[in-house]
Amino acid sequence: MPETAQYILWTAFYILIFPGALFTSVVGLFLAGVDRKVIAHMQRRIGPPIRQPMYDFFKLLGKETIIPHAANKFVFLAAPVIGFVSLAIIMLFIPIFGFTAVSGSADLIVILYLITIGGVALIVGGSASGSPYAGIGVSREMVTMMSYELPFVLVLLAVARKVGGSTLVFSMEQISQWQVENGHMLFQWSMIPAAIAFLLIIPAEVGMQPFDVAEAETEICEGPLIEYSGAPLAVFKLNTAMKMIIMTGLFTSLFLGQFRTGYYWADALLFVAICTVLTILCMTTVHAVTARLKIEHLFKFYWTIVTGLALSSLILVWLGL
Amino acid sequence: MMIVNYIASFVLIALGLYTVCTKKNLIKIVLGMGLIDYGVNLLIVSFGFNEGGTAPIYQLSDLLNGVASGYFVDPVPQALTLTSIVIGACVEAMALSLVIMIYRKYRSVNADEVRRLRG
Amino acid sequence: MNIQNFPVLAVMLLFLSAFLVEIFGSKIAAIRNFITIVAVTVSAALIFALIPAVLIKGEVISYWMGNWEPVAGYAIGIGYEVDALSLFFALLVVCTFWLSAVYSISYMKDDHHLGHYYTLFLMLSGSVLGLVLTGDIFNMFVMIEIMTFASVALTAFRNGTEGALEGAFKYLVIGSIGSSLNLAGIALLYAECHTLNMAQLSAILSGGLSPTTVMAFALIVAGFGVKSYMVPFHTPAADSYAVAPTAASMVFSGMVNKAGVYGMIRMVYIVFRAMDASALQMLLVIFGTLTMFVGVTMALAQHEFKRLLAYHSISQIGYVIMAVGLGSTLGLTGGLFHAMNHTLFKGLLFLTAGAVLKQAGTTNLDALGGLSKRMPRTTLYFLAGAAAISGIPPFNGFASKWIIYQAAYTKAVESGNFLYVIVTVAGLIVSVMTLASFIKVTQAVFFGQLREEHAHVQEPPFLMRLPMFLMALLCSAAGLFYPLVNRYLLHPAVDATVNVTNYIDKMMGDGYAAAAGVTNIPVQEVQFSFWDPLLWLVLFVVVFVAAAVVIMAGKGSRGRVLEEGAVADPKYATFFSGEQELYSQVGGSDLFWGFKKNWKAYYRVMDKLHSGIVTDYTNMAVIAVGVIVIVMFIFLI
Repeated sequence: MPETAQYILWTAFYILIFPGALFTSVVGLFLAGVDRKVIAHMQRRIGPPIRQPMYDFFKLLGKETIIPHAANKFVFLAAPVIGFVSLAIIMLFIPIFGFTAVSGSADLIVILYLITIGGVALIVGGSASGSPYAGIGVSREMVTMMSYELPFVLVLLAVARKVGGSTLVFSMEQISQWQVENGHMLFQWSMIPAAIAFLLIIPAEVGMQPFDVAEAETEICEGPLIEYSGAPLAVFKLNTAMKMIIMTGLFTSLFLGQFRTGYYWADALLFVAICTVLTILCMTTVHAVTARLKIEHLFKFYWTIVTGLALSSLILVWLGL
Repeated sequence: MMIVNYIASFVLIALGLYTVCTKKNLIKIVLGMGLIDYGVNLLIVSFGFNEGGTAPIYQLSDLLNGVASGYFVDPVPQALTLTSIVIGACVEAMALSLVIMIYRKYRSVNADEVRRLRG
Repeated sequence: MNIQNFPVLAVMLLFLSAFLVEIFGSKIAAIRNFITIVAVTVSAALIFALIPAVLIKGEVISYWMGNWEPVAGYAIGIGYEVDALSLFFALLVVCTFWLSAVYSISYMKDDHHLGHYYTLFLMLSGSVLGLVLTGDIFNMFVMIEIMTFASVALTAFRNGTEGALEGAFKYLVIGSIGSSLNLAGIALLYAECHTLNMAQLSAILSGGLSPTTVMAFALIVAGFGVKSYMVPFHTPAADSYAVAPTAASMVFSGMVNKAGVYGMIRMVYIVFRAMDASALQMLLVIFGTLTMFVGVTMALAQHEFKRLLAYHSISQIGYVIMAVGLGSTLGLTGGLFHAMNHTLFKGLLFLTAGAVLKQAGTTNLDALGGLSKRMPRTTLYFLAGAAAISGIPPFNGFASKWIIYQAAYTKAVESGNFLYVIVTVAGLIVSVMTLASFIKVTQAVFFGQLREEHAHVQEPPFLMRLPMFLMALLCSAAGLFYPLVNRYLLHPAVDATVNVTNYIDKMMGDGYAAAAGVTNIPVQEVQFSFWDPLLWLVLFVVVFVAAAVVIMAGKGSRGRVLEEGAVADPKYATFFSGEQELYSQVGGSDLFWGFKKNWKAYYRVMDKLHSGIVTDYTNMAVIAVGVIVIVMFIFLI
């Protein structure tokens, strides 16, 4: 049995510490801090310290959790946890350059599903709170999800086809290996539209302006989160931060996977650095210069422009370019 | 001669489909369903028929003595047709009874007016 | 007891008790319930008793009615023949009608003429069971007719309710067109092959198809298409599932449309052995994709709980037909698994809808809300079913959809056909839309504001909760223990579908298949890549720990409630930004107006097609039959 015990211990380590829950949360909160700091500088403010989201998180943990009378208690409390766990698991499947915690033959689909569960947790939680504002927020979150899911799937298919040649490969490890041999996916010219589409999907997935229609503070008071307080709210905020590292990390693995330093710690540092750059590039700057969209505009944007980009990439790849 | 039967059954089926597709009166639609049924029944029974064949009723001794050495029509399609006629009659009775009930409730047998379930 | 007799006994018992219920039980509820429960239980037990022989040892059970065995190489008598495929569907059927019968006892208690109800119910159960167990194609047709007849009558059973008669009539018209197609196909087949036994037909037709048999094939495929409600034959399904008593809706969605799927699989894989033809594959895949897409988009537009579920039923059958149409063993595995899962989760969802209808008196999504406060267990069961149908792990829908995607990708890769990529993407998108639609139901029915008129709604009685509980349990079990399901149910069924020599030889005598040139191909084990029980175990531990941490850290509190329903401390009330009371202006059924607005043009067309006029439906059906016949004629001859 020692082998099984060792296996369980390792799995627990992967899930709980690196690259699972702890690593994802810390880096996610760090990215959220960077985001706030940079945007403050863009607006000629000093901004909060980079540690601020962590302070916020621990402060919220200590606050009283109010469960509204209209809410379904169990679902209301379980939703953030389910979201957290599914997001923490995702990092296990994303290779940090040379290092992968878990690898299977179809990781990409698992990732796709788990990300969806992260979104669903927010929706179900908001829905369970029983507030009409949350109802509107839930509706918008769901439409947002339907909007970016189509181009997202197309991008993943394009990558899978590119790596597989005449087959489709959904293993992150193989995608990573392919890039070591053939150079960054980003520099394959047929993949450039897909990469741009992916970059456009990231802010919607994380729920950043201008795609934060679901949580629109000024119109519907944070939508699904309206009734949350204390620890569950802290977890939801953490989930948003974790999505930042997960989405940027997924981009890094899919499109910039050639880097190898040979040391795991150096790989991890480089990984975080690239994620930070991506965060600033596709979330902070976009956030700073745009205003919130309407839900129907968002839907149209993703199903026309972004889908078109992803589809053109897929067709190019399919034609063998 | 069988070709006439096939044509007739085809015409019956086509007429039935035409009725079902174009007539708005629910009773006519039921009649159309009946026509399709009759067409198919005619088709089946025609398949079993052999020109100049006798009825497939023999005793074992006839078969053994070679009296009935040759030619009789296939009995299986007749059994099938009988079954299918019975089923068809039941379906039509059921359909007509539904039409009666619909008439009581909607005061109409026009398909354009019997459309509360839609979308 | 000879095991050979079990299948026919199981069917006979149901038909016999259908009449016994009417004769002895039309007045007294106890006798009625007793006869029904005994009949379904014994019948289910007889079917379960076949598992060791058929699924584990791989035998084929056959029974000749009246001991009328083949004479001179021609099967004239009616034979029952149970291979793993038949038994797989038979198990789904017995589970469905057993649970539905238990549910009916409480659910139908307040209705009148219950003797008729149970008669029809048992006839429906018997006919579907007979359909999947029989080895004779004409017997299959007779069972289809009994099935249609009983389901039409059940649809119209609550004939006082809005639309029940109308739904039944439309069902009957479209259904009888389907039956006539089947009968015409069978007639052509008999004219060409002079036999009605499916094993013998399979052996004869493995030599290739002539124009007559292609015509027969096209008609039969169209006929079973009608019975499995693929688009554009789906319209009666939406109507009848919505208006039938919910226990019957569950049976319709759990086994009546599975009968169509079974017939389709039996015909294309076993009798005609034509799944190698890429034209047929494409035909089925296109119809399947169309079905799942139209089903789910129509479901998004619904504002009635049961009608919404009906459209989802259609959509999920689309997945099954698509997967079966891929023509690979992987696709077949996925299709069968999804058919099984659909029976489980859609049955569960219909039962929760029934519980809502029974307890709250309506299934209109705009008139409900907040029921999770009053019906917490039902809510939990509903969430399990909704998660399963939306393909959320670890429920069963995830596993089967996964295999279907995998099969579709593999097909795209092997054939290099871009169509299959589109199909794969469509599958994923439909899955997201399914999720969206169930979010809508969750929000509109179970969460949100509790209405005053529903303030005293109670949980349904035990006999209604028990089937829901069992189904929720099966949904999770089938997802968690997927490898077991695969080994003992799916793999034997797929094997029996692809390798038919055993099926033919058992019926026609050893060596018959070999003489006709039918050979076996070994089926590969399906790889389910990320399955690892230990990983799941660790995951569950983590979930529990995390949940405990959140609950401990939060010290969640909720206020006392005063007599008149107001909240003692305003901080526990819902935030209305100063308004006294506020219901969301977006009604439960309209949660996705943002989506619908962008798809206006599409929904305008759909509204026109689903006009509710029976002749429009027949037109669509006839055109589709024409398309199927023409396509198969051009490509299969």
